[in-house]
Amino acid sequence: MWHKPWAFIKKDFQNVASYKLALCLNFFSIFIGILSYFFIDKLFGQKIVPHLAEFGVNYFAYILLSMAFYGYIGVGMGSFTNQIRNEQLLGTLEATLLTPTKVSTILFSMALWNLILASLDVMVYILLGVFLFKLNFSNVNILSSLVILFLTIISFSGLGILAACFIMIFKRGNPIGGVITGIEGLISGVYFPVSILPGWLQTVAMFFPITYAIRAIELAVWQGYAVSQLYREILALVLFSLLLLPLSLVLFRYSLRKARQDGSLAQF
Amino acid sequence: MTKNILETSHLIKDFRPAASFSEWAKFNFTPPAPTRAMNDLSFSLERGKILGILGPNGAGKTTLLKTIATLILPTSGTLSFFNAGPTAITWTSQGLTNEQTEWQLKSSIGLTIDEERSFYWRLSGHQNLEFFSALYGLDAAATSKRINELFSLFGIDYGAKRFDSYSSGMKKCFSLIRALLHNPSLLLLDEPTKSLDYATAARLKEFIKTKLVQADGKTVIFTTHNLNENLDFCDLFMILRQGQVAAFGSLAHLRQQISNPAATIADIFLHFTREA
Repeated sequence: MWHKPWAFIKKDFQNVASYKLALCLNFFSIFIGILSYFFIDKLFGQKIVPHLAEFGVNYFAYILLSMAFYGYIGVGMGSFTNQIRNEQLLGTLEATLLTPTKVSTILFSMALWNLILASLDVMVYILLGVFLFKLNFSNVNILSSLVILFLTIISFSGLGILAACFIMIFKRGNPIGGVITGIEGLISGVYFPVSILPGWLQTVAMFFPITYAIRAIELAVWQGYAVSQLYREILALVLFSLLLLPLSLVLFRYSLRKARQDGSLAQF
Repeated sequence: MTKNILETSHLIKDFRPAASFSEWAKFNFTPPAPTRAMNDLSFSLERGKILGILGPNGAGKTTLLKTIATLILPTSGTLSFFNAGPTAITWTSQGLTNEQTEWQLKSSIGLTIDEERSFYWRLSGHQNLEFFSALYGLDAAATSKRINELFSLFGIDYGAKRFDSYSSGMKKCFSLIRALLHNPSLLLLDEPTKSLDYATAARLKEFIKTKLVQADGKTVIFTTHNLNENLDFCDLFMILRQGQVAAFGSLAHLRQQISNPAATIADIFLHFTREA
């Protein structure tokens, strides 16, 4: 069962390992990003403190966690489109689709390496947070964090596969990736808590799974909330997953058939 | 086991260009006219034969091979593949009926894509083959055995080098090896000799005839646009012209058709394409 996904992980690792400088720069850019947020916190952090009361942390701790977690959201949102686009450009998509491998196996296997890479990024965030910036992670509820993490990846995979449908048919131009990611960054609590926003924008934010994911992970990590205390957020993420994942898989099969009918699998 | 391995019936493939925004801006919403790559193409291929498909660029050779491999779906018409059992795997413009039959078909067909880009250039040739072998369902031990077997057959000792360091001919070899990894019963070779030197091309044809077809009983479809190529190793020929079968049969049969017992395949090709 894991034979084919493992082959994808191994291949992607071999590919990434051939670009060693890019791999090192990725980790370095995390450090630079954290440092920027550290100084932003020094400058404006006090103004946001009242909005962070329920999380029990300062702005720097809040943003460090949400940025680390955003990497996993990127796995769901970006992996499928990026990988399919890469395979189109490399010319390997046809060769992969020639093999007796399920479309769903190909899709999820393509995202696995990015998941591992995102986990490494999170480790870097946490290690820097603990050892350099003396953040205290002792309240973390590991079970809740893992549940939120799992549901976030599943629900965002649904959105990511929907975006991949556009790439499969139109090759370029992905409204889900560009527009939704931008809106999410603005209103869903990634850079600041949702409570800062005006009431009507807070209502709009409720329609995005990321709003629930960020809030839940902040509460699970900093306040140690148990699964039962996060039932509202977990229920929302389960509903998004149940709606988006099956729908996206059906639509991806349709878009793959459309690309075969158009004869455009090898085009990019 | 059925005599034929493949049957196609009234295959039509239209490629419709994408709608142009500049036409929309002129309020012209008429869809652009399609290009017909296959036009009512019907033929049957006997098991254990080598079919050489000849045609100029744009005649529909690659489209036909990709349609057989399910990378392209026909606009209309039917394809049937007969594996070991009596039941055919059939597909149309809607694709195959389910994923199970699609797997069966893909496990039985090997296609060499006429594209150097179809490999991961930052990986070695060996690493590329390991990846595709896993996707064909071979475990690590079977993969290692198969790759060693194929490397020794093709005399390859550069498998550990990065793919982007290979010459065009070396890349072609890897394309053929990848198509053979899962030991398919039908091999679709799209212009396999295009960038090979004369000696390598001759060795490849010898390998196809003696090893793949005579010893292993495989069926091969081989395309070329080069009429100067020695095609004696083919059992059957199909001449394609503008997506249609202009002629089909053995060399003797085609010579008989044009009443010229000494005609070469180039003469026959010119006869059928000129006649139109």
